[in-house]
Amino acid sequence: MIRILKNFSKRILAALFRRKREIKIGFYGPPNAGKTSLANRICKDWTGEEIGVVSKIPHETRHVQFKEKVEIKHKGRKLTFKIVDTPGIATKIDYEDFMHYGMKKKDSKKRAKEATQGIIESIQWLDDMDAIVVVLDATENPYSQVNITIIGNIVARKIPVLLVANKIDLKNANVKKFESTFPEYELVGISAKEGTNMDEFYEALFRLSKKV
Amino acid sequence: MPYKCVHCSEIYDDGSKEVLEGCGKCKSKFFFYIKQEKLKEILENKEIPALSTAEKKQMEKDVRDIVGAKNDENPIFLDFESIKVLKPGKYLLDLGKLFEMNKPRVYQLEDGKYIVDFTSQRINMGKEE
Repeated sequence: MIRILKNFSKRILAALFRRKREIKIGFYGPPNAGKTSLANRICKDWTGEEIGVVSKIPHETRHVQFKEKVEIKHKGRKLTFKIVDTPGIATKIDYEDFMHYGMKKKDSKKRAKEATQGIIESIQWLDDMDAIVVVLDATENPYSQVNITIIGNIVARKIPVLLVANKIDLKNANVKKFESTFPEYELVGISAKEGTNMDEFYEALFRLSKKV
Repeated sequence: MPYKCVHCSEIYDDGSKEVLEGCGKCKSKFFFYIKQEKLKEILENKEIPALSTAEKKQMEKDVRDIVGAKNDENPIFLDFESIKVLKPGKYLLDLGKLFEMNKPRVYQLEDGKYIVDFTSQRINMGKEE
Protein backbone atom coordinates (compact mmCIF):
# COMPACT_ATOMS: atom_id res chain seq x y z
CA MET A 1 0.00 0.00 0.00
CA ILE A 2 2.83 2.38 0.99
CA ARG A 3 4.57 1.52 -2.26
CA ILE A 4 1.46 2.29 -4.29
CA LEU A 5 1.03 5.65 -2.53
CA LYS A 6 4.73 6.40 -3.05
CA ASN A 7 4.43 5.59 -6.74
CA PHE A 8 1.30 7.66 -7.02
CA SER A 9 2.91 10.72 -5.41
CA LYS A 10 6.01 10.19 -7.58
CA ARG A 11 3.76 10.28 -10.62
CA ILE A 12 1.96 13.44 -9.41
CA LEU A 13 5.34 15.17 -8.93
CA ALA A 14 6.49 13.87 -12.28
CA ALA A 15 3.39 15.34 -13.89
CA LEU A 16 4.15 18.74 -12.34
CA PHE A 17 7.63 18.74 -13.84
CA ARG A 18 6.62 16.90 -16.99
CA ARG A 19 8.84 16.97 -20.01
CA LYS A 20 11.76 18.45 -18.09
CA ARG A 21 13.35 15.09 -17.63
CA GLU A 22 13.67 11.86 -19.57
CA ILE A 23 10.94 9.27 -19.28
CA LYS A 24 12.12 5.90 -17.98
CA ILE A 25 10.56 3.16 -20.10
CA GLY A 26 11.11 -0.42 -18.98
CA PHE A 27 10.90 -3.33 -21.42
CA TYR A 28 9.55 -6.32 -19.54
CA GLY A 29 8.33 -9.75 -20.54
CA PRO A 30 9.08 -13.45 -20.71
CA PRO A 31 12.43 -14.68 -22.11
CA ASN A 32 12.91 -14.65 -25.88
CA ALA A 33 9.89 -12.44 -26.58
CA GLY A 34 12.11 -9.85 -28.26
CA LYS A 35 12.63 -7.18 -25.60
CA THR A 36 16.23 -6.57 -26.59
CA SER A 37 15.36 -6.73 -30.31
CA LEU A 38 12.77 -3.99 -29.81
CA ALA A 39 15.03 -1.91 -27.54
CA ASN A 40 17.82 -2.33 -30.13
CA ARG A 41 15.56 -1.20 -32.97
CA ILE A 42 14.49 1.92 -31.06
CA CYS A 43 18.04 2.78 -29.98
CA LYS A 44 19.43 2.10 -33.46
CA ASP A 45 16.70 4.23 -35.06
CA TRP A 46 17.32 7.22 -32.81
CA THR A 47 20.91 7.01 -31.56
CA GLY A 48 22.59 4.79 -34.13
CA GLU A 49 23.73 2.37 -31.41
CA GLU A 50 22.25 -0.85 -30.13
CA ILE A 51 21.62 -1.62 -26.46
CA GLY A 52 22.48 -5.33 -26.20
CA VAL A 53 23.10 -8.68 -27.80
CA VAL A 54 20.25 -10.95 -28.95
CA SER A 55 20.35 -14.72 -29.13
CA LYS A 56 18.17 -17.71 -29.88
CA ILE A 57 19.14 -19.18 -26.52
CA PRO A 58 16.76 -17.90 -23.82
CA HIS A 59 18.02 -15.58 -21.05
CA GLU A 60 20.67 -13.88 -23.19
CA THR A 61 19.98 -10.66 -21.25
CA ARG A 62 20.85 -11.44 -17.65
CA HIS A 63 21.43 -7.92 -16.35
CA VAL A 64 19.41 -4.77 -16.72
CA GLN A 65 20.88 -2.67 -19.54
CA PHE A 66 19.89 0.84 -20.48
CA LYS A 67 20.48 3.71 -22.83
CA GLU A 68 19.93 7.27 -21.70
CA LYS A 69 18.83 10.38 -23.58
CA VAL A 70 17.15 8.58 -26.46
CA GLU A 71 15.36 11.39 -28.26
CA ILE A 72 12.38 10.20 -30.28
CA LYS A 73 10.58 12.44 -32.73
CA HIS A 74 7.13 11.50 -33.93
CA LYS A 75 4.70 13.64 -35.94
CA GLY A 76 6.33 16.90 -34.93
CA ARG A 77 6.58 15.97 -31.26
CA LYS A 78 9.76 15.13 -29.42
CA LEU A 79 10.30 13.16 -26.20
CA THR A 80 13.45 11.99 -24.42
CA PHE A 81 13.54 8.48 -23.00
CA LYS A 82 15.75 6.32 -20.89
CA ILE A 83 15.32 2.88 -22.47
CA VAL A 84 15.64 0.13 -19.86
CA ASP A 85 15.93 -3.42 -21.22
CA THR A 86 15.39 -6.07 -18.54
CA PRO A 87 16.16 -9.81 -18.27
CA GLY A 88 13.26 -12.10 -19.18
CA ILE A 89 10.99 -13.17 -16.34
CA ALA A 90 10.27 -16.89 -15.98
CA THR A 91 8.95 -19.30 -13.36
CA LYS A 92 11.45 -22.04 -14.09
CA ILE A 93 15.14 -21.98 -14.96
CA ASP A 94 16.77 -25.28 -15.81
CA TYR A 95 20.36 -25.51 -17.03
CA GLU A 96 19.45 -28.58 -19.10
CA ASP A 97 17.29 -26.37 -21.34
CA PHE A 98 20.43 -24.45 -22.31
CA MET A 99 22.32 -27.66 -23.00
CA HIS A 100 19.76 -28.44 -25.74
CA TYR A 101 21.20 -25.44 -27.58
CA GLY A 102 24.66 -27.01 -27.45
CA MET A 103 25.97 -25.21 -24.36
CA LYS A 104 28.33 -27.04 -22.03
CA LYS A 105 27.03 -28.18 -18.62
CA LYS A 106 29.22 -25.79 -16.64
CA ASP A 107 28.28 -22.78 -18.79
CA SER A 108 24.61 -23.80 -18.67
CA LYS A 109 24.61 -23.88 -14.87
CA LYS A 110 26.28 -20.47 -14.75
CA ARG A 111 23.71 -19.11 -17.18
CA ALA A 112 20.88 -20.57 -15.03
CA LYS A 113 22.22 -18.89 -11.90
CA GLU A 114 22.68 -15.56 -13.67
CA ALA A 115 19.21 -15.81 -15.24
CA THR A 116 17.67 -16.31 -11.78
CA GLN A 117 19.62 -13.32 -10.51
CA GLY A 118 18.41 -11.38 -13.57
CA ILE A 119 14.77 -12.06 -12.75
CA ILE A 120 15.22 -10.63 -9.25
CA GLU A 121 16.99 -7.62 -10.76
CA SER A 122 14.16 -7.03 -13.25
CA ILE A 123 11.60 -7.04 -10.47
CA GLN A 124 13.72 -4.72 -8.33
CA TRP A 125 13.83 -2.13 -11.11
CA LEU A 126 10.08 -2.18 -11.65
CA ASP A 127 9.27 0.59 -9.18
CA ASP A 128 11.79 2.93 -10.82
CA MET A 129 9.97 2.87 -14.13
CA ASP A 130 7.74 5.72 -15.32
CA ALA A 131 6.02 3.46 -17.84
CA ILE A 132 6.41 -0.08 -19.07
CA VAL A 133 6.25 -1.82 -22.42
CA VAL A 134 5.48 -5.51 -21.94
CA VAL A 135 6.89 -7.43 -24.89
CA LEU A 136 5.10 -10.71 -25.61
CA ASP A 137 5.75 -13.38 -28.21
CA ALA A 138 2.79 -13.33 -30.62
CA THR A 139 3.40 -16.96 -31.57
CA GLU A 140 2.95 -18.22 -27.98
CA ASN A 141 -0.11 -18.71 -25.79
CA PRO A 142 -0.96 -15.26 -24.37
CA TYR A 143 -2.60 -16.67 -21.27
CA SER A 144 0.54 -17.81 -19.46
CA GLN A 145 1.28 -17.47 -15.75
CA VAL A 146 4.28 -15.26 -16.50
CA ASN A 147 2.34 -12.86 -18.74
CA ILE A 148 -0.56 -12.56 -16.33
CA THR A 149 1.71 -12.09 -13.30
CA ILE A 150 3.86 -9.43 -14.99
CA ILE A 151 0.92 -7.42 -16.31
CA GLY A 152 -1.08 -7.82 -13.08
CA ASN A 153 1.78 -6.57 -10.93
CA ILE A 154 2.52 -3.58 -13.17
CA VAL A 155 -1.15 -2.57 -13.11
CA ALA A 156 -1.32 -3.07 -9.31
CA ARG A 157 1.57 -0.61 -8.98
CA LYS A 158 -0.35 1.88 -11.16
CA ILE A 159 2.47 2.10 -13.69
CA PRO A 160 1.19 2.97 -17.20
CA VAL A 161 1.58 -0.03 -19.49
CA LEU A 162 1.61 -0.79 -23.22
CA LEU A 163 1.50 -4.35 -24.53
CA VAL A 164 3.45 -5.35 -27.63
CA ALA A 165 2.79 -8.61 -29.46
CA ASN A 166 6.12 -9.17 -31.21
CA LYS A 167 7.17 -11.49 -34.04
CA ILE A 168 4.19 -10.81 -36.31
CA ASP A 169 6.50 -11.65 -39.22
CA LEU A 170 6.16 -15.32 -38.23
CA LYS A 171 3.39 -17.41 -39.77
CA ASN A 172 1.92 -18.68 -36.51
CA ALA A 173 1.68 -15.23 -34.87
CA ASN A 174 -1.82 -14.43 -33.66
CA VAL A 175 -2.24 -10.82 -32.51
CA LYS A 176 -6.04 -11.14 -32.34
CA LYS A 177 -5.69 -13.81 -29.67
CA PHE A 178 -3.61 -11.38 -27.57
CA GLU A 179 -6.12 -8.58 -28.11
CA SER A 180 -8.96 -10.76 -26.89
CA THR A 181 -6.93 -11.99 -23.90
CA PHE A 182 -6.02 -8.47 -22.79
CA PRO A 183 -8.91 -6.31 -24.05
CA GLU A 184 -8.48 -3.66 -21.33
CA TYR A 185 -4.94 -2.72 -22.42
CA GLU A 186 -3.57 -0.99 -25.50
CA LEU A 187 -1.77 -3.56 -27.61
CA VAL A 188 0.31 -3.16 -30.76
CA GLY A 189 1.42 -6.01 -33.03
CA ILE A 190 4.95 -5.51 -34.39
CA SER A 191 7.98 -7.26 -35.73
CA ALA A 192 11.04 -5.79 -34.01
CA LYS A 193 13.25 -7.88 -36.27
CA GLU A 194 11.70 -6.64 -39.53
CA GLY A 195 10.67 -3.21 -38.25
CA THR A 196 7.02 -3.83 -39.12
CA ASN A 197 4.39 -1.50 -37.62
CA MET A 198 6.95 0.65 -35.81
CA ASP A 199 5.00 3.82 -36.66
CA GLU A 200 2.01 2.45 -34.83
CA PHE A 201 4.30 1.48 -31.94
CA TYR A 202 5.77 4.99 -31.64
CA GLU A 203 2.27 6.46 -31.76
CA ALA A 204 1.27 4.18 -28.85
CA LEU A 205 4.52 4.98 -27.01
CA PHE A 206 3.73 8.70 -27.15
CA ARG A 207 0.19 8.02 -25.92
CA LEU A 208 1.69 5.96 -23.09
CA SER A 209 4.05 8.81 -22.18
CA LYS A 210 1.10 11.14 -21.69
CA LYS A 211 -0.05 8.90 -18.84
CA VAL A 212 3.25 9.37 -16.98
CA MET B 1 11.10 -21.33 14.82
CA PRO B 2 14.24 -23.49 14.75
CA TYR B 3 17.09 -23.34 12.25
CA LYS B 4 19.08 -26.16 10.76
CA CYS B 5 22.63 -25.87 9.46
CA VAL B 6 22.62 -26.70 5.74
CA HIS B 7 26.08 -28.24 5.89
CA CYS B 8 26.10 -30.38 9.05
CA SER B 9 22.36 -30.61 9.93
CA GLU B 10 22.80 -29.29 13.49
CA ILE B 11 19.56 -27.76 14.78
CA TYR B 12 19.31 -24.50 16.74
CA ASP B 13 16.41 -22.75 18.42
CA ASP B 14 15.27 -19.36 17.27
CA GLY B 15 17.37 -16.68 18.94
CA SER B 16 20.42 -18.91 19.39
CA LYS B 17 23.70 -17.04 19.11
CA GLU B 18 24.98 -19.71 16.70
CA VAL B 19 22.38 -18.65 14.14
CA LEU B 20 24.03 -15.25 13.83
CA GLU B 21 27.61 -16.09 14.73
CA GLY B 22 27.92 -19.37 12.87
CA CYS B 23 27.17 -23.04 13.50
CA GLY B 24 28.87 -24.30 16.68
CA LYS B 25 29.82 -27.53 14.93
CA CYS B 26 30.99 -26.52 11.43
CA LYS B 27 31.04 -22.66 11.62
CA SER B 28 28.75 -22.36 8.59
CA LYS B 29 26.42 -19.34 8.38
CA PHE B 30 23.98 -20.95 6.00
CA PHE B 31 20.80 -22.24 7.64
CA PHE B 32 17.47 -23.68 6.75
CA TYR B 33 14.56 -22.03 8.48
CA ILE B 34 12.29 -24.77 9.68
CA LYS B 35 8.58 -24.47 10.22
CA GLN B 36 7.62 -25.85 13.64
CA GLU B 37 5.30 -28.44 12.14
CA LYS B 38 8.14 -29.76 10.00
CA LEU B 39 10.62 -30.05 12.86
CA LYS B 40 9.43 -33.47 14.05
CA GLU B 41 9.76 -34.98 10.59
CA ILE B 42 13.23 -33.48 10.20
CA LEU B 43 14.34 -34.76 13.59
CA GLU B 44 13.17 -38.19 12.51
CA ASN B 45 15.39 -37.81 9.45
CA LYS B 46 12.49 -38.08 7.08
CA GLU B 47 13.41 -34.95 5.23
CA ILE B 48 17.14 -34.93 4.83
CA PRO B 49 17.91 -33.52 1.39
CA ALA B 50 19.79 -35.90 -0.85
CA LEU B 51 22.59 -33.49 -1.69
CA SER B 52 26.28 -34.16 -1.64
CA THR B 53 28.70 -31.96 0.31
CA ALA B 54 29.91 -30.44 -2.95
CA GLU B 55 26.33 -29.70 -4.01
CA LYS B 56 25.59 -28.01 -0.68
CA LYS B 57 28.72 -25.87 -1.03
CA GLN B 58 27.79 -24.98 -4.60
CA MET B 59 24.25 -24.16 -3.52
CA GLU B 60 25.46 -21.79 -0.81
CA LYS B 61 27.75 -20.10 -3.31
CA ASP B 62 24.94 -19.80 -5.87
CA VAL B 63 22.48 -18.44 -3.33
CA ARG B 64 25.02 -15.89 -2.07
CA ASP B 65 25.74 -14.84 -5.67
CA ILE B 66 22.06 -14.60 -6.56
CA VAL B 67 21.12 -12.47 -3.58
CA GLY B 68 24.27 -10.37 -3.94
CA ALA B 69 25.60 -11.24 -0.47
CA LYS B 70 29.25 -10.45 -1.11
CA ASN B 71 30.27 -10.83 2.50
CA ASP B 72 30.52 -14.49 3.51
CA GLU B 73 30.34 -13.40 7.14
CA ASN B 74 26.65 -12.54 6.82
CA PRO B 75 24.37 -15.41 7.82
CA ILE B 76 21.83 -16.54 5.26
CA PHE B 77 18.57 -18.14 6.27
CA LEU B 78 16.67 -20.22 3.81
CA ASP B 79 13.12 -19.14 4.40
CA PHE B 80 9.86 -18.70 2.48
CA GLU B 81 9.39 -20.12 -0.90
CA SER B 82 9.89 -17.59 -3.66
CA ILE B 83 12.88 -19.30 -5.25
CA LYS B 84 13.31 -23.01 -5.02
CA VAL B 85 16.78 -24.37 -5.70
CA LEU B 86 16.17 -27.90 -6.87
CA LYS B 87 19.90 -28.38 -7.27
CA PRO B 88 22.65 -26.16 -8.64
CA GLY B 89 21.42 -24.89 -12.02
CA LYS B 90 17.74 -25.75 -11.51
CA TYR B 91 15.49 -23.09 -10.05
CA LEU B 92 11.76 -22.65 -9.63
CA LEU B 93 10.50 -19.13 -9.02
CA ASP B 94 7.26 -18.06 -7.43
CA LEU B 95 6.75 -14.78 -9.26
CA GLY B 96 3.78 -13.74 -7.15
CA LYS B 97 5.96 -13.80 -4.05
CA LEU B 98 8.94 -12.21 -5.79
CA PHE B 99 6.77 -9.29 -6.85
CA GLU B 100 5.69 -8.75 -3.24
CA MET B 101 8.64 -6.56 -2.49
CA ASN B 102 7.96 -6.25 1.21
CA LYS B 103 8.22 -9.95 1.82
CA PRO B 104 11.50 -11.78 2.19
CA ARG B 105 12.71 -13.69 -0.82
CA VAL B 106 13.15 -17.37 -0.49
CA TYR B 107 15.16 -20.27 -1.67
CA GLN B 108 13.86 -23.71 -1.19
CA LEU B 109 15.73 -26.92 -1.53
CA GLU B 110 14.21 -30.17 -2.62
CA ASP B 111 10.61 -30.44 -1.54
CA GLY B 112 9.53 -27.11 -0.15
CA LYS B 113 11.13 -26.96 3.25
CA TYR B 114 13.99 -24.61 2.91
CA ILE B 115 14.07 -20.95 2.32
CA VAL B 116 16.30 -17.90 2.15
CA ASP B 117 15.32 -14.74 3.91
CA PHE B 118 17.55 -12.06 2.58
CA THR B 119 15.72 -9.01 3.86
CA SER B 120 18.71 -8.42 6.08
CA GLN B 121 20.99 -8.49 3.06
CA ARG B 122 21.14 -5.11 1.36
CA ILE B 123 21.14 -6.07 -2.24
CA ASN B 124 23.31 -3.90 -4.41
CA MET B 125 23.00 -4.48 -8.09
CA GLY B 126 23.98 -1.06 -9.29
CA LYS B 127 20.36 0.04 -9.21
CA GLU B 128 19.60 3.72 -9.01
CA GLU B 129 18.18 5.09 -5.80
